[in-house]
Amino acid sequence: MAVYRIQHLTRYRYQEPVTVCHNLAHLIPRDAPRHTWTQISLDITPDATRSMRHDYFGNPMTVFAIDEPHCELQVVSRCMVDLAAPQTSSLFPTGSWESVCKMLSGRPQDEFLAASEFRFRSPQIHWNEDIYNWARQSFTLGRPMAEAALDIGKRIYSEFKFVSGSTNISTRVDEVFQQRTGVCQDFAHFAIACFRSMGLAARYVSGYLLTAPPPGQQRLTGADASHAWISVYIPECGWMDIDPTNHVWPLERHITIAWGRDFSDVSPLRGVILGGGKHEVTVGVDVIPLDADGDGVLITELWT
Amino acid sequence: MMTDQIPVCGPGLANTANGLFAHYYRGNIAPDDMLDASGHVRQHWKLLVQLLDHLGPVELEKRWAMARQLIHENGVTYNVYGDPAGMDRPWVLDALPLVFAAQEWADLCDGLVQRARVLDMALADLYGPQRLLNDSVIPPEVIFANPGYLRPLRGARPFGGRWLHVAANDIGRNQDGSFCILADRTQTPSGAGYALENRIVVSRAIPDIFRDCQVSRLATFFRSMRHLLQAAAPHNRENPRIVLLTPGPYNETYFEHAYLARYLGYPLVEGADLTVRDNRVYMKMLGGLQQIDVIFRRQDDDYCDPLELKPDSSLGIAGLVQSVHAGHVTVVNALGSGVMESPALEMFIPRICRYLLGEELKLPAVTSYWCGDEEALKYVLAHFNKLVIKPAFYSADESPVATESLSSKQVETLRVRVLDHPSHYVGEEQIPLSTAPVMIGGRVEARHIAFRAQMVAAGDSYTVMPGGLARFSMSAESMIVSMQRGGGSKDTWVLSGGPVDTFSLLTPPGSPMGISRAGGDLSSRVADNLYWLGRYVERAEAIVRLARGIIGRLVDQNFDTSPELPTLLASLGAQVRMNAPNVTSSNGESLLNNMLFAGDLPYGLQMTLAAVYSTASLVRDRMAIDTWRIISRLDVDFSAKLGKPGRVSELLATLDKLMITFAAFSGLAMESMTRGLAWRFLDIGRRIERGANIVLLGLSTLTADQMRAPSILEAILEVADSAITYRRRYMTSLQIPLVADLLLSDETNPRALAFQLVRLQEHVELLPSSHLGAQLTPIQQILLRRLTELRLADFGRLVTLGNAEDSGLRGFMEMATADLFKLSDLICQKYLCHAAPSRQIGSSTVKINPGYRP
Repeated sequence: MAVYRIQHLTRYRYQEPVTVCHNLAHLIPRDAPRHTWTQISLDITPDATRSMRHDYFGNPMTVFAIDEPHCELQVVSRCMVDLAAPQTSSLFPTGSWESVCKMLSGRPQDEFLAASEFRFRSPQIHWNEDIYNWARQSFTLGRPMAEAALDIGKRIYSEFKFVSGSTNISTRVDEVFQQRTGVCQDFAHFAIACFRSMGLAARYVSGYLLTAPPPGQQRLTGADASHAWISVYIPECGWMDIDPTNHVWPLERHITIAWGRDFSDVSPLRGVILGGGKHEVTVGVDVIPLDADGDGVLITELWT
Repeated sequence: MMTDQIPVCGPGLANTANGLFAHYYRGNIAPDDMLDASGHVRQHWKLLVQLLDHLGPVELEKRWAMARQLIHENGVTYNVYGDPAGMDRPWVLDALPLVFAAQEWADLCDGLVQRARVLDMALADLYGPQRLLNDSVIPPEVIFANPGYLRPLRGARPFGGRWLHVAANDIGRNQDGSFCILADRTQTPSGAGYALENRIVVSRAIPDIFRDCQVSRLATFFRSMRHLLQAAAPHNRENPRIVLLTPGPYNETYFEHAYLARYLGYPLVEGADLTVRDNRVYMKMLGGLQQIDVIFRRQDDDYCDPLELKPDSSLGIAGLVQSVHAGHVTVVNALGSGVMESPALEMFIPRICRYLLGEELKLPAVTSYWCGDEEALKYVLAHFNKLVIKPAFYSADESPVATESLSSKQVETLRVRVLDHPSHYVGEEQIPLSTAPVMIGGRVEARHIAFRAQMVAAGDSYTVMPGGLARFSMSAESMIVSMQRGGGSKDTWVLSGGPVDTFSLLTPPGSPMGISRAGGDLSSRVADNLYWLGRYVERAEAIVRLARGIIGRLVDQNFDTSPELPTLLASLGAQVRMNAPNVTSSNGESLLNNMLFAGDLPYGLQMTLAAVYSTASLVRDRMAIDTWRIISRLDVDFSAKLGKPGRVSELLATLDKLMITFAAFSGLAMESMTRGLAWRFLDIGRRIERGANIVLLGLSTLTADQMRAPSILEAILEVADSAITYRRRYMTSLQIPLVADLLLSDETNPRALAFQLVRLQEHVELLPSSHLGAQLTPIQQILLRRLTELRLADFGRLVTLGNAEDSGLRGFMEMATADLFKLSDLICQKYLCHAAPSRQIGSSTVKINPGYRP
């Protein structure tokens, strides 16, 4: 069991006043297995009219608008999470990946129907013959589903290079595949495309990851933004998380905020503004593990 | 295909041998609407055929010439995408209506109403409990992989539980003559307005025949539509505010949007006119925000909200989806209803009908096969060469294709594509489509037809328009019935078989109406466009005036001995914002050409004229026909000529003509526009621009050192159209202070700065919320301050001080310029700023719309 305090700050500074803005935030954490949330808050400056609803995938969503001129928008979400340890960290014995395909494409029962949602193309997930062929290598005849899934994660980890700034928000999956570089979001999208090209169900998970600072270095405050990984549907054990960026079990240190078909369903903050001229954006995320006394030890993420 | 033809013959057509239909043949493959299988005129066509025969081809042609004139005058158009010449394509209407008998029509309506109910219930289910998916009525992929299924709308509960308020179906006939649905239009069905316009034209062209045939009237349908929209309001139910939302003049059916808005009596708005505040939708008016209760939209689903739907849509209203969830506005049809148009769903409609209504589907659609289904795929591959292959979901990249029309190589490619992604394709049987008589160049010939039926929700059910928009193929062989691909339209007559309800929504001529003088409020977007139209026209005029002065001198005089030439060129350079041209005798002509024609000079003549035209087209619905004609002449007459720089002497004639066009535009604005807010904003734009230009002229000439020669002052007076006044007042003695007074301070000179300020004062007084109690608003303060300065100005002293100090003539004019800019900013901020385009931050790339205005 681990307890974390999380703070996620986003600040937009505009060159000229923004007269009206409408925004959509996926910053309030969702119900997820093993996560117990407390002290959730979302502070918006300047004052905004806001509404909450749950989106299609059950993520809490905040829609807010500011209709007085402002040159700066600051959104800070804070929460505490009690992350329960998984029951087991060893690999489930699972059926073959072919049997999963068959189950998913057969007559939908309730649970399979929900998984079907994550089997098809979505705004940012497309694939082609080459991606399918690359993925196919992990899905050998009769291979257990979980093993094949982990293999995809491992191959991305070893064949792709994490290069900050090598992609942008509109880089397509096939471009990531070609250049073999990207950041966590690109690897998540590519992994999802691999699974879906095989007829399997995979979803995009947006959240935070606790990492230790490099040895001998100071922990920085609010050094970076959120993390992304994926979740694959396996009938025997439900959804299994895979982090292709790090090739670690996303268990004790991955904190889930939202999930959807791809990034576009769960982007932490987006908006439409009137005016503003040029703008600059600052994002800072802190994940602070709390010891038994509830005191925080500051640890910061270094992800782009 | 139509080799074996059957001529018209048989009883009831005494004159046929020589009459209109004498040479009408039907093919023997497709059924014909007018003739039965043995070539006899069907019972319900007989009266029409008889009456038309009686009228005779000559008279019909004469009347139809008048009808064409009417269509032209009403400006009925249909825009064709991707074809530059396709903008404003004139509407093609055939003189001969398509006729339906009362009983056959009633049976058809039965099927249509059932279908609309099924589609409405299916939408409510898909965006709600999804029982259709849970119970395997529809395979999940048909919905989950469908880009038309808008997840943000799930859980929305539209007012009254209704998703589908208006619907349309394209309908054709099977081989055996029975009706068959070709397509569902569930999102923003078009055609009702065109059907109405067609009816008005035809009933005016052949009023007696129309009356004698006892044709059902369309007006009751539009009455139902109004009732429906009124009843759809979630709030303010006594007097809801309803608007018709259009994507704008570039949409293919923009004419219909404007036409329907006028006919139904609702404002026509674009996304930029609306804004969401506190989950409510408001219309941005000059007087402030007005809450909107119902949006009758003609804009596609995903373009309606850039925040939650298509992020790069610049047409949408950010926050609309949330407003729908909050239940503060009704969108007609509900957002997300487009999913029912997917060809992939067609195959499952009979099942859906059984599941939701417990009934068999009464009216079949074209048999279609979604290749995501194994059995269906087998069938499609086995019958590949006879089918139409369609993308399963809406796709901008792919359109339906009849495999018959492809080469064998193309067929093979398509087959591979289908095999690669079966679930992305649908195979559809082809049906023959019936033929009907169409007037082609004075002869009556057979053309394939389809027609679009319109429905509107009424209570728990739907009302079908007794009529509709019939369309015919371009050639006798073609079965492509589409306004996008040529062809034309027809009125559709449903015989009432009894007395006709003559209700009309149009005010009968001569009936008393309440007098209304107020122009009413004006939307900020329209005011914004008018303001800039005023500015652009004035700017273009200023450039032309200067250019004419220069050309006159370039032609007549020796460059070196005319000191005013370099000054005037420099002045034009300042006007078009071209960096300090170094004028010499050799580069004068090329400089001039550049200033006028450079395509990349935002303040140059070329781009200013383009701005006049494009801004004017945005407010075309606000303009009298004559005014639009003048503007469009600007485009036709000048853009071609101005595109190619020519000899200056030839240019003069063109510029003279341009001046006359501007004069005609101004004259019409002065003489024909009511003095409402629209006129005021047009004139405010013009006054501010003219004031700024006259000061600019003064700055670039009066204070230049080298140019006190009389010839320069003369040239300035000429450019400022004030030479005659000056000469009358001061005879020939040219003095700078006098010129300055005439151009700046003279409140009786329509070209002077003071004159513009006085006009602006009058306008500002009459704008909404123009008063701050007893205090003057910042706008009023600037106007008063500047005008007082002008009234007190001592130009003799100012000229003496010259450029030396801030208090000299230069400083005086620079302050005036600064004030004019401030004035423009204040007016834009107070009244027009909401009209600016919005843009995205966050998830998608930042994209700035071309809303920048030089």
